[in-house]
Amino acid sequence: MGSIRFENSGKTYGNGPGAFLALEGVTLDVADKEFVAIVGPSGCGKTTCLRMVAGFESVTSGRVLVNGKDVVAPGPDRAVVFQQFALFPWKTVEENIEFGLRNKNVPKGERRDLVQGALALMGLESHASAFPHQLSGGMQQRVAIARAYVLDPAVLLMDEPFGALDAQTRVVMQEELVRLARVQPRTVLFITHGVEEAVYLADRVAVMTRRPGRIKEVIDVKSVRTGEKWDDLERIEDVMDTESFVHLRTQIWKSLREEKIAAN
Amino acid sequence: MATEASAVGLDRNQRTDEKAVSASVAGRKLPGRSKWRKMLARPPVISALSVAAVLLIWFAATSWFQLAPAGRFPTPQEFWSSLRQSLFAGYAGGTLVGHVWNSLRLVVIGFACAFLTGVPLGLLMGSSRTAEAVINPIFSLMRPIPPLAWIPLAILWLGLGSAAKVMVIWLAAFVPSVINSYTGVRGIDKSLIAAARMLGTPRGRMIGEVIVPGALPLIFTGLRLSLQAAWTTLVAAEMVGALTGVGFVLNVAQQDIYPSMILVGMLTVGVLGWSTTWALAVVERRMLARWPQGRS
Amino acid sequence: MALTTGRSLLLATLSLLLFCTIWFLLPATGLVSEQFLPNPVAVLERIVTLIGDPFAGATLPTHLSYSFGRFFGGFLLAALIGVPLGLMMGWFPTLDALATPLLDGLRFIAPIAWVPFAALWFGTGVGGPIMIIFAGAFPPCVINAYQGARHVDVRLIEAARMLGTSNIRMITQVIMPAAIPSIIAGLRISAGLGWQSLIGAELIVASTGVGFMMVQAQANVATSTVVAGMVAIGVVGLLIDILLRRFERAVTRNR
Repeated sequence: MGSIRFENSGKTYGNGPGAFLALEGVTLDVADKEFVAIVGPSGCGKTTCLRMVAGFESVTSGRVLVNGKDVVAPGPDRAVVFQQFALFPWKTVEENIEFGLRNKNVPKGERRDLVQGALALMGLESHASAFPHQLSGGMQQRVAIARAYVLDPAVLLMDEPFGALDAQTRVVMQEELVRLARVQPRTVLFITHGVEEAVYLADRVAVMTRRPGRIKEVIDVKSVRTGEKWDDLERIEDVMDTESFVHLRTQIWKSLREEKIAAN
Repeated sequence: MATEASAVGLDRNQRTDEKAVSASVAGRKLPGRSKWRKMLARPPVISALSVAAVLLIWFAATSWFQLAPAGRFPTPQEFWSSLRQSLFAGYAGGTLVGHVWNSLRLVVIGFACAFLTGVPLGLLMGSSRTAEAVINPIFSLMRPIPPLAWIPLAILWLGLGSAAKVMVIWLAAFVPSVINSYTGVRGIDKSLIAAARMLGTPRGRMIGEVIVPGALPLIFTGLRLSLQAAWTTLVAAEMVGALTGVGFVLNVAQQDIYPSMILVGMLTVGVLGWSTTWALAVVERRMLARWPQGRS
Repeated sequence: MALTTGRSLLLATLSLLLFCTIWFLLPATGLVSEQFLPNPVAVLERIVTLIGDPFAGATLPTHLSYSFGRFFGGFLLAALIGVPLGLMMGWFPTLDALATPLLDGLRFIAPIAWVPFAALWFGTGVGGPIMIIFAGAFPPCVINAYQGARHVDVRLIEAARMLGTSNIRMITQVIMPAAIPSIIAGLRISAGLGWQSLIGAELIVASTGVGFMMVQAQANVATSTVVAGMVAIGVVGLLIDILLRRFERAVTRNR
């Protein structure tokens, strides 16, 4: 089980007259097994939100809670998938996935089974002993996702995970992630600047304002998805063609555009 | 240095290909060259010819036509007899093998000391800001003094024996080890550190499986430079004051005005430098087999 | 985790203070003799004395000027020959193939090992030391110019070739400007190695210069003079590097 709670969270860098206010009064609840995407204009602090949940940065006002407890430091209960994959280049695919389990002192036999399961889940069986640099970007990101999933984290934090991939690979990975969310649902906080990606993947989409970032509005996608039976459609482009999808996309896009215009 | 050279060599070949491609694109591929000329124009052949030419010039200038003043430039025959003399009869108080053994021993000990102290210190400075703030000023204060300038002080402190030499070799090899280990840690991708923290990596494993491997390519670069510095310093130290060793051979040969023996000493220094660098490169290649190429 | 600049400045000051205190106290408390390790004040006094009174035939500034003159000669020679050679090796594959095996062979011979031949061929006054500095400073000049020339953007070369650029113009107008940062980085390494080779040469042969002064001091067990020489060498080496770094910044700024 895993839930995330931003309680009037704020972040200021530095102090005195040179202080830089990045986030102000962010309030958002992510329920157990819910997939929430955050979109916002660039530089609005959406990545900072994620880094605060991960424990890489601390809040300077308000609170950030995971399962009702304040976040203090990074830990394997909050697995992060980075935009730049962040795989250890000197470890094989298998060793990368296994690394977090070793840190959790999972016994060897159990570890092997879990790694095998994760490899199978992401379709990586034939690459188990390859090194990251021998794989394509899409495959590397699969490894990173497997590395996060295998820890069975309370929450999964994804920071523009498909931002560094080419357009075709990105589509494949998005479909993969939807499939994964159905097989093994997790609490996910997903940062992106792609509106379509957010609508396609998330149960709810939170739109952030320009800096200092706040949550401007939260749009419910799940009710539309179940109502319009998107899950029956095989491919991403079929979903994106539905009227309901286009409508939601336009609504979020307009909201975002107001912020972009105001920022300039 | 050997790997540096081979890396450059590899790069060189690729570049030549690129050049060839672009040359043919530009329509400048030279037509009508005979097979022989093509054969001769290949880089390895030219390189072999170049070495042969230098040897030939040496023979011609000293031995055949006596263009170079005798007594200042050794002839190949003199070199050969000096080499035999140093190997079998001995020179400067011992055979060449004995001198080599003494020098090699000191370099290995000094280098090992530098490796065992410098790399951990560099890693510490790279991973802890406090350690960096404390150590860096002292380090920066001592660094402009070239290791060779320590030789007189080392002799005053420790005499003409092995200890003074190990001390200056250690000093010389220490600096590149520290700097490169430090830079190596600093150069580790920040997201890798973040990933390791996110994965709950305990401190010991963080050092052993993230920081050291991340810095390893640059650690080896540092060790290569350290080894080079170790040899330079040892030769200098042995020439300033010693009773044995390759540098001592050079010193005695200089005082005896014995050019062919000087050449024997220099070539010995070169062979020693080359072979130890080669040995280090073998270790490096083994250790870095897992690392993606071109990261160092 | 992160340190503020204020705190790290404080730590740096404290650590330097501690270093100087230990250096001062070791001989002062009699733990080691002054003969073994003169205290920093004694070294400073010695430097001041050496500026006026000659030791080993000359005052410290005179020794330094001898050393620097030799250094400058050898370094200039290495740069003037090494940089053009490296650039040409980068452009002409034949020259590359000719020169590389010889240079690779020479690189493994420590510059100091040239001392006997340098003394034999050019004497121990000016010529010999210059040759040794040259031996130390030459390889980085060649290597960096070569690598700089090698890493010039292929599109630049193709564009120049399309415009019918001659070989000479190609080197002077295209390759050299593009290789400047690498060349200057090489000059800095060269200067460091050249300066250190000079000190080595002066320790072994030569009858003037800071290195010679230090050897004489060592023979007379004048430890404070030895340390004074080390300080002078360090300061001049640092000044050379600062000058070259200035030069580097001035050149790279206009790009």
